Amino acid sequence: MTTLTAKPASEGIAGFAALLRDHGMIVGPAEQTAMLFAIGALGGLKVGVVRSAWRAIACHSSRDWRQWDELFDRYWHPSRTRGQVKVSGQTRPKRDVRQAVQAMRDDMDAAASKPGSRAAKTAGDQPATQDAPVSDAPQAQGGASRAEALAQRDGQMWLPEELSQLRALAKQITNHLRPTPTRRWQALHNGRRLGLRQTLRRSVAFGGEPVNPVWLNRRVEAPKIFILVDVSRSMESHAAFFLRVARAFAQQSQARAFVFHTRIIEITNLLQRDSAAVQEKINAVTAGFGAGTRIATSLEAFTRQHARAQLSRSARVWVFSDGFDTDEPGALADALAELRQRGARISWFHPTHKAAISAALQGGKKYIDRFVPLANLADLQAARPLLR
Amino acid sequence: MAATPDDLRQSLHRVGYLADTDLSTAVWLAAELERPVLLEGDAGVGKTALAQALAKASNATLVRLQCFEGLDLSQAAYEWNYSRQLMSIRAHEASGGAIRTDDVFGRDFLLERPLLKAISQPGPCVLLIDEIDRADEAFEAFLLEVLAEYQITVPEIGTVKATTVPQVILTSNGTRELSDALRRRCLYHHLDYPTLAREIAIVKATLPDVDSQLVEDAVQFVQRLRGDDLAKTPGVAETLDWIKALHRMNVHILASDMAPLLATLGCLLKTSEDHFMVNADRMLQIMEGRRYEGVAVKNAAPEGAA
Repeated sequence: MTTLTAKPASEGIAGFAALLRDHGMIVGPAEQTAMLFAIGALGGLKVGVVRSAWRAIACHSSRDWRQWDELFDRYWHPSRTRGQVKVSGQTRPKRDVRQAVQAMRDDMDAAASKPGSRAAKTAGDQPATQDAPVSDAPQAQGGASRAEALAQRDGQMWLPEELSQLRALAKQITNHLRPTPTRRWQALHNGRRLGLRQTLRRSVAFGGEPVNPVWLNRRVEAPKIFILVDVSRSMESHAAFFLRVARAFAQQSQARAFVFHTRIIEITNLLQRDSAAVQEKINAVTAGFGAGTRIATSLEAFTRQHARAQLSRSARVWVFSDGFDTDEPGALADALAELRQRGARISWFHPTHKAAISAALQGGKKYIDRFVPLANLADLQAARPLLR
Repeated sequence: MAATPDDLRQSLHRVGYLADTDLSTAVWLAAELERPVLLEGDAGVGKTALAQALAKASNATLVRLQCFEGLDLSQAAYEWNYSRQLMSIRAHEASGGAIRTDDVFGRDFLLERPLLKAISQPGPCVLLIDEIDRADEAFEAFLLEVLAEYQITVPEIGTVKATTVPQVILTSNGTRELSDALRRRCLYHHLDYPTLAREIAIVKATLPDVDSQLVEDAVQFVQRLRGDDLAKTPGVAETLDWIKALHRMNVHILASDMAPLLATLGCLLKTSEDHFMVNADRMLQIMEGRRYEGVAVKNAAPEGAA
């Protein structure tokens, strides 16, 4: 029978909770108390059962659910997880940004190199052809190297007024998005149509006198914004800006934000935290991603898993990417077609003012509603009337 | 109430619901902590069935609240019985007596809707709040009091507190993001499509009369079908319906005749696009375990034959 590592339970749980919080999970004192209670109620430390019980307590969404096993093993069985960051039993691991970056990079690398997952090798800068031989060796991509990107971070510093300007812009753009009318009606004080059925129903309380009429208006669905940011190597110099934009929308308009390179992960929770340290961490994360970009695979995962139930006519999907894809030629067009089929409106934000030249994007552009150049705040301001 | 998660798993098994360790632990722990369970997953994976099985296994009353857009307090918690109140007023007027507040605002004049009914149960009760993501956010906020304190406040008569804390199961298909406040009040479990072995076991437990070979072939077929890009992926409920239909049509081996398979495909596929995609050829491919044939393969086949 396997048991948990022998640490004082409360101390171990506090450290574990800190690790979970570092990965965007909401684990406060209430959850930690429940975890301690679960150990007592289960009458022992059988790993399988404790793992299941704690999972039910600490996870609050399918995203948490998916990363649970990996985090549990990393903390409680560091010897089993080769190549991972070993976390000590400190109640709050003190890690600087560089270590945090390394941990997140390890997460991504480990997931990308799992058996069965096709790791991308190259991202051709020019339109790919069927005849071109594909080399197994990793090739350099557009954009700066890791060291250069870190050295340039000073240039990415934002003044507080610029940040507030970005947030205000995000709010304006969100307000500008057209809500989608639905077939349904809802009761509103300033409604224009008399809800006869509801009025009659209410009149029963007043002896049949319709003294409290119900007014209806057509129900509208607020646009749901999904932002997908490419953080592959070719996007190193642009990703920090894009993530700031994503963060502004995540905070101002409840947008869901994702990052992708060879796979896609959701970072909405991370972006919604109002902390300078988190932003610094996110900036630094973008500086280090290597490998290629599998846009088609990431979009497919987004459509089929992450946002499957939420994609409808009111969905706005904004992809921030240069379009260089290492997936099969034509795969991006298929992924975009599938996304479009769900009713979503797709806008593609390109990091330069030049026309997108990647072959994948050329093939899939008929499914994209709008291309928007986005290199700075002025571009976002200019794009405001275009985004509806 | 089950003493351990394993006891609960076995009692659920006895009533025909096969839960894994994760699920049985979550449900057992929720009962111990007196917390609701939030089940998320695709339609047809067994979320609602769990609540029904739980009620059956624990001899509890099942109270179901089906959520929908526009659901309000009067449909979910309670409503005054206006007709009865009016009758009472008339009766008092006829007898010449004075009318007091208690004469028209008491428990007798309250129509119990599912939430009030659940917390008023004298015995064990399972409250199923189905498809909470379909309800409005305002209703979600109202639920917080019920789920945290197991009580409902009726302004005219005070607070009604649960005599026996009901076991609450909330289900969601993920069409809308639920609030963090609601999520944190619940224990969470994500139900996914079952594995091949598990689904075979579920079907065999539910339909014991069906040929074992047919069950295995049909379940394998459905599992492969789920890999296709369908608008509506068939769940366990659809698998059960389909196998039941095949059994009624006296099909014993899946690959014997395509006609009954095509005739019963409506049990699995629920949109015209899916029917268009899964034609007889594709069904054969799935049964043989082949993926889609690309254009290159289709073109190469005649040349190779020549």
